[in-house]
Amino acid sequence: MTLAATDTLYVALAFYALGTIAALGSLFTKVKRLQHYGLLMMIAGFVAHTGWIGTICTRTGHPPITNLPEATAFVGWVVFAVELALWIRYRVYAASFFVYPLVLLLLTISAVAGEQFAPLNPGLRSNVFTAHLLLTTIGVAGMLIGVAFGSLAFIQDRALKEKRRGRFWEWIPSLDVCKRVSYHALAIGFSIYTAGLLAGILWSYRTTAGLMELRVKQVGAMVAWVLFAVLLKQYIAGEFRRKRTVLLSACAFVAVLVAILGISR
Amino acid sequence: MPLILVGLNHRTAPVEVRERLGVADSKLPETTSALRSIEGVDGAAVLSTCNRVEAIVSTRDEDSIEAIVDWLAETASTQRAELEKHLYILRHGDVVRHLFRVASGLDSMIVGEPQIGGQVRKAFITALDLGTLDSVLTQLYEQTMRVAKRVRTDTGIGEHAVSVPYAAIELAKKIFGDLRGLQVLLLGAGDMGELTAEHLHQQEVKQVFVANRSFERAQELARRFDGAAVQFDRLDDYLAGCDIVIASTAAPHYVVEPQHVERALDARKRRNLFLIDLAVPRNIHPAVGRIDGAYLYNVDDLQQVADANLTQRQQKATAAEQIVTREVDAFRKRLVAQDAVPTILELQQRLEQIRAAELEKCLRNVGPMTAAQRAAIEMFSTQMINKILHYPILQLKYMSDEPQERESLRRTIRKIFGLR
Repeated sequence: MTLAATDTLYVALAFYALGTIAALGSLFTKVKRLQHYGLLMMIAGFVAHTGWIGTICTRTGHPPITNLPEATAFVGWVVFAVELALWIRYRVYAASFFVYPLVLLLLTISAVAGEQFAPLNPGLRSNVFTAHLLLTTIGVAGMLIGVAFGSLAFIQDRALKEKRRGRFWEWIPSLDVCKRVSYHALAIGFSIYTAGLLAGILWSYRTTAGLMELRVKQVGAMVAWVLFAVLLKQYIAGEFRRKRTVLLSACAFVAVLVAILGISR
Repeated sequence: MPLILVGLNHRTAPVEVRERLGVADSKLPETTSALRSIEGVDGAAVLSTCNRVEAIVSTRDEDSIEAIVDWLAETASTQRAELEKHLYILRHGDVVRHLFRVASGLDSMIVGEPQIGGQVRKAFITALDLGTLDSVLTQLYEQTMRVAKRVRTDTGIGEHAVSVPYAAIELAKKIFGDLRGLQVLLLGAGDMGELTAEHLHQQEVKQVFVANRSFERAQELARRFDGAAVQFDRLDDYLAGCDIVIASTAAPHYVVEPQHVERALDARKRRNLFLIDLAVPRNIHPAVGRIDGAYLYNVDDLQQVADANLTQRQQKATAAEQIVTREVDAFRKRLVAQDAVPTILELQQRLEQIRAAELEKCLRNVGPMTAAQRAAIEMFSTQMINKILHYPILQLKYMSDEPQERESLRRTIRKIFGLR
């Protein structure tokens, strides 16, 4: 049975695609109702997505984070869960323009990867390893949300400075909210991610007596950690307005994607 | 039940006429009761704002219009002929459309202004409390409020400010979100600055500090905003502690220079600072706008924001009109269908009586039969009656919204089927 052959995955994909189209449609048509429909579609997709995550756990007997389709499905799930929590708290629609396509992309990768359900290698059956996978995944989701809100803060700052309303003006919350959410998401996400990496190093040390191997995912994860550390320092210094901060965010985002895509390599 | 609206507004009557007819809040119940007591009027409400006065009634016959115009002339203490030049008289579906548009802000002087929704609600609530609303006006009121809410939610027509002080507040909200807990520094005592500070005070900012060359004037203004007067030469100290600065002095030079703002932002740990320069000549050096964390808007910038918002509202009005048109049609159909219910019921009862009587006769003549045979005959007679009634009921349900045409159709159907 391949991962791509399960109905709930396709149902989730279909709803996510509709939700993303509706959200992007509202951006261009300025019809607010489309945003509501988009959110409802995404929530329906999230329910199916949750079913899919449950299916993986039931069939493999472990959290869905051991190969590429499992990891992308789980990261996408956590990203949307955090986005939903933030929407409930701040009613921010603008982040959906970034987050919905990201969630759709992650789940699409999960679907097209078509890898087999991975029975867990006995060597990986360890609480430290599970903690490593869960913490890094949740940390990545937090940091991606931080980058999304950081981008919104940058856009809002430019619009206010240049006295020119862009397409996002109506959808973006206040500058203070964007700054606060991006900083908190980055700070919390980074701390969890760091704890996850440390757990990974510890597990690697225990099993191979070495700190870590230097494969794609490890290099990607370490590069992402360094970039996010610098990014966090920029935020603490109040330099989210600088173009180099935005560039750094983009690089950190790519590094995270490389780490996720390289999970099986 | 015919609906009638007689009134005048800012487009049909000058302020001298509107103020004579305007009804003070305290007089609204008395005026509404007086309108209801006019012969032929079954339900009444009075809408009175600074831009319009309208008598909304449901009535048995349209002759009441003359009496309503007389009553309005008497209320305004003016000649009927003089008042009639400014009045508009709307009937039936036009009343529904007009009220939907008024409550949605589409008929306002500034399109989309939000206060009118509350004023319409107040007019109908007053009438409801007095018991002067009949079932038609009650439904009209409920639907009007629903439509107004839908228009505002779906189009966002009233979301953005169209005046300079409100544009400043809208921008402050885009920077800080919630304005409660913020500190405001008002420099000078210019009218526009005072007005903006007043609006900010209404938004429940934490504190308003007033600095003016004349300390007495500063104290006087500070009292209005429950704030504090400060010495002008302590500008640096207060600039660091305040989140919003409004400059509105008569000084012919810059009062706030970039170095002031740099120092303030350092002291504030680079927390955002919103500077509003409403003075001409300007009081805040334009280079301040280039400092990270400082957002500077002068009076022209704010006017541009207000103008852009107004243009946007006008664009949104097109979508709002489409919603109103759909809602008017739906409401009209509902009213017409309700109006037809008594006749439809009577028609069904009458034909059922005929069917039952004729069936009884038929069964007596035929003699003994099985239960299945009897059921088949009963079903046949019921289906035949339903088929006969189908088109008359359809006609009654989808009649014209003109009461006279409806009455004429009703009378014809009653005559054909021998209803009393």
